[in-house]
Amino acid sequence: MIEVKNLTKVYGRNVAVDNISFVVGDGEIVGFLGPNGAGKTTTMNIMTGYISATKGDVDINGYNILKEPEKAKKQIGYLPDTPPLYGDMRVCEYLNFVCDIKGVSKDKRKDMLNEIYNIVKIKDVEKRVIKNLSKGYRQRVGLAQALVGFPDVLILDEPTVGLDPKQIIEMREVIKELGQRHTVILSSHILSEVNAVCDKIIIINNGKIAVKLNTKDFENMSSDLFNIRFKANKPADEILRIFEKFKPVYNGEEEKGTFDFLLYKEEKKDCREEIFNISAENNLPVLMFKPVIFSLEDLFLKVINEDYSENDIITTNGKEEV
Amino acid sequence: MNAVFKKELHTYFNTLSGYVFLGFFVLINAYFFSQINIGGGNSDYSSTLTYTFSMFLILIPVLTMRLFAEEVRQRTDQLLYTSPISVWKIVFGKFFAAASVFLIGTAVTALFPVIMSYYGEVNFTQTFSCFLGYFLLGAALISVGLFISVLTDNQIIAAVGTFAAVFFILMMDGIIKSMPDDPFSSAVFTAMVIIFISFVLYSGTKNIIVSVIFSVICIVAEAGVYLYDNSVFESLIAKTLEWFSVVNHFESFYMGIFKLSDIVYYSSFIFVFLYVTVNTIEKRRWR
Repeated sequence: MIEVKNLTKVYGRNVAVDNISFVVGDGEIVGFLGPNGAGKTTTMNIMTGYISATKGDVDINGYNILKEPEKAKKQIGYLPDTPPLYGDMRVCEYLNFVCDIKGVSKDKRKDMLNEIYNIVKIKDVEKRVIKNLSKGYRQRVGLAQALVGFPDVLILDEPTVGLDPKQIIEMREVIKELGQRHTVILSSHILSEVNAVCDKIIIINNGKIAVKLNTKDFENMSSDLFNIRFKANKPADEILRIFEKFKPVYNGEEEKGTFDFLLYKEEKKDCREEIFNISAENNLPVLMFKPVIFSLEDLFLKVINEDYSENDIITTNGKEEV
Repeated sequence: MNAVFKKELHTYFNTLSGYVFLGFFVLINAYFFSQINIGGGNSDYSSTLTYTFSMFLILIPVLTMRLFAEEVRQRTDQLLYTSPISVWKIVFGKFFAAASVFLIGTAVTALFPVIMSYYGEVNFTQTFSCFLGYFLLGAALISVGLFISVLTDNQIIAAVGTFAAVFFILMMDGIIKSMPDDPFSSAVFTAMVIIFISFVLYSGTKNIIVSVIFSVICIVAEAGVYLYDNSVFESLIAKTLEWFSVVNHFESFYMGIFKLSDIVYYSSFIFVFLYVTVNTIEKRRWR
């Protein structure tokens, strides 16, 4: 369980993180999403005790990161954006050193390291010197380092950066698997990744939390919203009257003399046929007829392009304008 | 602490730096040994040791330049500071590792007087005392190098900085002698120190009122003391700088005298620099 309360970090005049609060329950996988420089890494660095906050608290399993740093840090495995590797060490030497500083007892060490080797698949490079490894392997050794001691909480800063597509898929599988035993927080600016892996999504922009949502709700929401974008060349008020039961929303005049509407259907059922029939009955020439699926990408772009506040969280009843 | 200590020792002997240090250390000592003791027919090894001080200029940076600079460059400091281990343990671990490599070198050169004892008389008590002082002196310089290494993420800058600091410390005796010792210059010097402290206070708290009030109160108090009895200020500059004169405190060891005060001096000198190192790290993370 991670509790972040009113976290603020100010560098000189620059506010990197602005009053962020959220709670992550046990066994959840939470994705931090945001453009570069949004404050994801800073937030993670504060949560792991690498840097301090200007204001606010972080509690990891009930231990405050400032008041009881050693106990709190014992609960965390952290993979920073650059994996913290000693280039001149061998992989096994390095992981043994990490075991030492994390206080893993000698008798448990062998089994634990073997398990980690299997999870991140680095058994074959165990004896290699780290500086000679490829980027993908380094990233995996970095993840292995975070796993040492199997801490309750894993904080992974862009874990798939620099991996090839196959490795990205493998890494996602690994993270999903880890999510069954650990609480995982990962950051990314790859939307599909967060959508595929996480239970919850927190979108950060300009140091503030713009949106918090559950991926499940979001999936329902995008399919619930059986929206149709509709273009016809009759006067607006006439179209409004014809489609009264769909509660049309005027969406501008993209092409001269035509009108764009968004049509919503309350019930979760395909209404395309119905719309076609109504149009035919009313002799309405349809110029465009297109279902709109609300994707995470739409939400993300909307959030980072506009001044978006936490109160504007998308409602799940499908009334949101798209 | 053990973990960091072991890792640092491992790095010294996994990269070249440990071997470079030990190789040059023993080579230079052996050179002076052969010139002074063997060539000169002199059985006093203590004086030979004092000749080797100048090699600290090069060899201390070799030992210390990497310690923190490389951690920051490789970003491995993130691993250290997010691990359940205190900064003190990290700093101590690194210091003891560097001091151990220095101790290994000193132990090898300690064979020279033993070899000599087969051919002549060697005063072992004095030699031992001299070696102890030699080790403490080296450890004190290592603590300075460790501190400089934490100030930068560039090994070259750390090395040059350490070179300059060791140079300054070894030259301290000469510098002290050239300082004016009249009360007025000392008072000016003290005022400058007060202003410097207020500046540090300001950069730490960003509170200009507190730092100005602090410096005004201190300077007024100083002026009061000066007007009341200016003999307090006599040769104050020399006395202050003497604290840094690590070589000065070596003298009693050189003469074969164990002075507790000198051992305490070296220990506290080392402690002060390790403390400043820990604080610099903490402060950077709090900024």
